[in-house]
Amino acid sequence: MQWLTLLQKEMTENVRNVKWIWVPLIMILIAIMDPLSNYYLPQIIDAAGGMPEGAEIQLPDYQPSDIVMMSLGQFSSIGVLIIALMTMGTISGERKSGVSELILVKPVSYVNYISSKWTAAVLLTLVSFSLGMVASWYYINLLFGELSFGALMQVLFFYGLWLMLVVSLSIFYNTLCRTPGLVAFLTIATIVLMNLVTTIFSHLLDWSPNKIANYIQQLLISGSVPSELIGAAIVTIVMSAVLLIASVYTFKTKDMAA
Amino acid sequence: MEVISILSEMDWAVVAPLLVIQAILLIVAIIDLIRVDNTHGPKWMWTLIIVFINIVGPIVYFIFGRRQE
Repeated sequence: MQWLTLLQKEMTENVRNVKWIWVPLIMILIAIMDPLSNYYLPQIIDAAGGMPEGAEIQLPDYQPSDIVMMSLGQFSSIGVLIIALMTMGTISGERKSGVSELILVKPVSYVNYISSKWTAAVLLTLVSFSLGMVASWYYINLLFGELSFGALMQVLFFYGLWLMLVVSLSIFYNTLCRTPGLVAFLTIATIVLMNLVTTIFSHLLDWSPNKIANYIQQLLISGSVPSELIGAAIVTIVMSAVLLIASVYTFKTKDMAA
Repeated sequence: MEVISILSEMDWAVVAPLLVIQAILLIVAIIDLIRVDNTHGPKWMWTLIIVFINIVGPIVYFIFGRRQE
């Protein structure tokens, strides 16, 4: 029950600092940016002065799955950046300002403290991401063609796992260092590095979490879940769990120092 | 003239959500700015940033302008 109280405290805090308003709005915005701008591309080109005489560009005929991938592409860049910036101070900031000491002086277990922080951040991230994808799905059905609700749910589930890993990484770095800016930098650096390693050793790392987006594309085109996607999902869950355990451990050992 | 014709051609049901989101962000940021005691950097600077930089202004304020406390 202590955990619930702590979670409630986190939720209230996120409502007070208006994260529950701006994070969902940003996620909706970055999700619908690409469907809209691609649909209106001909008009935008016209408004910008039109094509030169005689030039002709055949605009591709987008399938719904292409647009989903574009929205996910935005999430993997701007979305990850927003998540890293939004969670960068959640523990490190409290330690800097001394709030965490106020909490931990009471008989609060480290596990509860970290996991309530993690749950609050994951909830906020996943709800915002889902709202964004639902908005994108609405526009896809309106402007580009049918995409089934089942497909949307699969996209939400598998890509949500990847975003969960991003939050876990950020929480882990939160326990490791005290400067919020450094936390955000390390989170993003790690993701870039993971991306690089996955690209270089692509043939070896079939189950890398970074490949989830590629597998989602296969899933949307073929309509069935590729077996590699299940593997990648399991690896992602295991990595998140390990990061969470590691953050409790580093928090325990580093808390009293300095 | 061209701008006007484009404006009337646009499907407002499609574009309206974008404008609404932008407006909500701006209003929430301004209310929050009035409510909080102090920010990183002067308040008048944040007012200018929020009002004059579309979409990005309020976000930058929420991330960097607010003091945790």
